[in-house]
Amino acid sequence: MKLESMSRMVIFSLACGVLGETMPAQAHHSFAMFDFDKTIACPATVKEFRWTNPHVTLLIEAVPKPGAPPEIWSLELTSPGNLTRIGWTHSSFKPGDRIDIQFNPLRDGKHGGAFKEAKIQATGQVLTSSVREANETPNLQ
Amino acid sequence: MRVDRRSRSTAFGLAVTGMAWLATGAVQAADSVLNAAPKPADWAALAQLPDWSGVWTPNTSDQERREKADPIPWNPKAAAEIRKLEAQERAGNPKGLFVNCLPEGMPSWMLITHNAMEFLFTPGRVSILGEMDGNRLRRIYTDGRPHPSDPDPSFHGHSIGHWEDGTLVVDTVGILPEAYIAPSEAVGLPNNGDMHVVEHIHLAGPDRLEDDLEVTAPHVLTKTWKTSRFMVRQRARKYDIAEGVCIQGNFSEAKDSAGNAVFVPVPETEGGNWLPPAK
Repeated sequence: MKLESMSRMVIFSLACGVLGETMPAQAHHSFAMFDFDKTIACPATVKEFRWTNPHVTLLIEAVPKPGAPPEIWSLELTSPGNLTRIGWTHSSFKPGDRIDIQFNPLRDGKHGGAFKEAKIQATGQVLTSSVREANETPNLQ
Repeated sequence: MRVDRRSRSTAFGLAVTGMAWLATGAVQAADSVLNAAPKPADWAALAQLPDWSGVWTPNTSDQERREKADPIPWNPKAAAEIRKLEAQERAGNPKGLFVNCLPEGMPSWMLITHNAMEFLFTPGRVSILGEMDGNRLRRIYTDGRPHPSDPDPSFHGHSIGHWEDGTLVVDTVGILPEAYIAPSEAVGLPNNGDMHVVEHIHLAGPDRLEDDLEVTAPHVLTKTWKTSRFMVRQRARKYDIAEGVCIQGNFSEAKDSAGNAVFVPVPETEGGNWLPPAK
């Protein structure tokens, strides 16, 4: 699959690469400031995982371009309540975790983005952020 | 005045329809200054009401469809402002209406929330508890009281309700003029005062709850705006309402010089996005 092969490629290069489009997340603010036509994928190290409202935030350290120094990026998600419904917990990430991350960057070039997907390298667990299906389907079990 | 007429008709309805009205419990005289203690019959009567138990999650896709399908009848001045906000959002530079974490208020909470809510029935009242913020809370009095003659303005206004064949009819006034009429987080305007919201909330299927809204806002709309939203029922415990303190997001957890766990402000963009620390 295209995304996987691209992820392997950027892991090999240890720097970020650009993938295709994705879907918006949800919020107490508009997500129009994120460029959903651009998905950046790279290996990264978790610096901090903030399980707070209204948006959970994942701080990562990644190398933006081959040979460049590492940079810290702040990636936003929806709320803890919504993420709980798709299997996340406050300990889904720990500082130091090595991950393969995909996110949609801020349009203004600042080091922020909307989280799309992360694979924890040590376990292979993949975490995604879309809660739409979970919230729009009755779960009565 | 419209509200007083509704209140008189409510009292008449109570007299003639008996159990249907008693199901709301602890009926109050319009001029009562006390909230009467509910009697066992008032609690028992709650069992006659429709089953709205569980957690209800809004259908975000439907919100987006309704945004286009039920255009808001803005007056010309408001429409011009809305066009500017829409252009800002299209340009990827949206104005965040709610990034200050003040409540969406009425009617926007019911229109655009992406968070769950639940409905609690007690004698004489229906309470709506939202997931995001302890202050996203509506108290709908179903004990027959009228609106105050001069209610203190609030984000969610003063709501009175009654039941009609399984439908909760809610009348809300006293909403702050600053409360937005917002079809999205980036596009909307303050109602500018004198807003009146009527809702018919009802089950439209075993696990689908609809809120049909009629919003009258004479300072920004040319006529009453009618729209509808729906939620779906969740019973899995992973949907239980979580605490959601919006302004907590403006702070990061840290230790002070004495080792105490404290919150410290974090830098944000104008749009409400956290920025990473320099190092």
